[in-house]
Amino acid sequence: MRSERARHNKIIFSGTVGAGKSTAINALSDIATVSTEAVASDATARLKPTTTVAMDYGVLNLPGGEKVMLYGTPGQERFSFMWDILSEGGIGLVLLINNANPDPLQDLEGYLGAFRQFIASTAVTIGVTHMDSAPEPGLDAYRSRLIKLGLDPMPAIFRADARSRDDVATLVKALLYTLNPGLNDA
Amino acid sequence: MKRAQSSSPSEPPSALHLLHVGSMDARLIGLSIERHWTRSVRLVETLEEAQVVLIDCDRPGIEAVLDQLAGHPRIGIVYYAFHPKDHAPRFQPRPVLGKPLNLESLPVTLARARADAAHVIAAAPPRPIAPPPAPSAPAAASAPAPLGNSLMADDERDLCGGMDDIPAAPGSPLPDKLFFNPDDYLIGRLQQALALASASGRPHLISGLPRLIGIEPRPIPVCITAFRENQLRPLAMTQLPESTGRIVSTPLIGEADSQPLQLAAEDFLWNAAAWAARGRLPAGSNPYRPVRLRAWPNFTYAFASPHAMRIAALWTRTQASPVEIAARLGIPHRYVFSVYSAASFAGLLDTTTGDANTPAALPAPPAQTDRPARPSILSRILRKLRDAV
Repeated sequence: MRSERARHNKIIFSGTVGAGKSTAINALSDIATVSTEAVASDATARLKPTTTVAMDYGVLNLPGGEKVMLYGTPGQERFSFMWDILSEGGIGLVLLINNANPDPLQDLEGYLGAFRQFIASTAVTIGVTHMDSAPEPGLDAYRSRLIKLGLDPMPAIFRADARSRDDVATLVKALLYTLNPGLNDA
Repeated sequence: MKRAQSSSPSEPPSALHLLHVGSMDARLIGLSIERHWTRSVRLVETLEEAQVVLIDCDRPGIEAVLDQLAGHPRIGIVYYAFHPKDHAPRFQPRPVLGKPLNLESLPVTLARARADAAHVIAAAPPRPIAPPPAPSAPAAASAPAPLGNSLMADDERDLCGGMDDIPAAPGSPLPDKLFFNPDDYLIGRLQQALALASASGRPHLISGLPRLIGIEPRPIPVCITAFRENQLRPLAMTQLPESTGRIVSTPLIGEADSQPLQLAAEDFLWNAAAWAARGRLPAGSNPYRPVRLRAWPNFTYAFASPHAMRIAALWTRTQASPVEIAARLGIPHRYVFSVYSAASFAGLLDTTTGDANTPAALPAPPAQTDRPARPSILSRILRKLRDAV
């Protein structure tokens, strides 16, 4: 694991189309988020009218003027070349999975595979969204898949509403404690 | 278990004022009065209406409260504290009860305190006759430790108790008050309902409560309740009479004219257990036995007691006893016991390989042993988020 000093102050949000990455960054950011949305022209158009094509960008302002950048990757796989570029030097990954997708467990597996190296050197927390409208698979199904994938220790995985600042902050807090359970917020 | 309704059937109910009581205890006592003691106790809003008052010795500001009471010698006083013996000399002859309050016997104690005060002829101010006790727990004596979440200190005491740490190694007898019997609380009924629903594939209800609570097995068990979320916590902290909460099978759970709350059973049981535990362990638990969390709880809904996320982060990666986890994180045992209790009822505790006689070898501590002059970037983000939530 790289030292904290070697990392940039940025947290990566990734996940499936429509999982709420842009919304989550918007919920947490202290600035109006910068978004590179474009009119969806492929299968994504069935899910939402616009989608992120390069990145979303938000900021957490820390006391003393320091900033933590919040980067959202595009959800579509054809923009996956952006994933490595954006995640380089990041503190960790918040992965959002849309439970209403046809095969969310496969989505999970795909994204964990794509970010394997990044996760191995940092940490990941997983937010499962849209569970109110699509309650299955439940969290235990995700946990079973994570065990099958050999993730040890098991990452934090929560039900999440990307619109909720509390939920997004809880995901990021879990990410920080995963990196260092000895952290104290005093 | 019989409820004490009154010391005498002919006496009017004692007018109780919760003079110096935390919000959580106030809700819990209010709920108990509403459910069980309407004939023996009635809550009043002001000191002037009160025949008896209840005072939490552990809450700050007690001196001002005692000054306030000095002009009301005929009001009975019942104190309660985590360490009642420490306070008893100071307040004698008035009773100092232990925490958590035994709600079964409280009406009788209140009636007695009221009767004793009524016999006072000379106005003896209830000022302390001995200096305040020195706090016995170092963790409680110093400035409040950072909580790891946004709980107010008052709530923290209500929810996690004030239990002192137990010895670091097994051998000494453990205090009875370290343990709670789940069958005395809502969590015991929920556990039973979940087991029956899962075994039979049919919904089960907990009967005899003021509102609906039931478990539907579905593919993923769900708890359905007509209680509001702010009512569930005091209910879960209250000891239920044996006659309340029989588990019954039902073809369908629902109330025609309400929209009951639906929650994953795992989350619901986590919360009910954490609230009942108040920093204690379920009876029969071994605090020296290494265990492991098989997964993080769903902290976007599951109650995060102080340090719960740190505990989860460490306990999902290593097998260790509750006492060892507390030592590794440098926190009082009660916070780990709270997580242990919640995890055990939520089905998140892996106890398969633990052996109290062979403590697990722990990896190098992740905690920062040498605190840097400036908090790390992770700590600074964490502080920002704590303030944000």
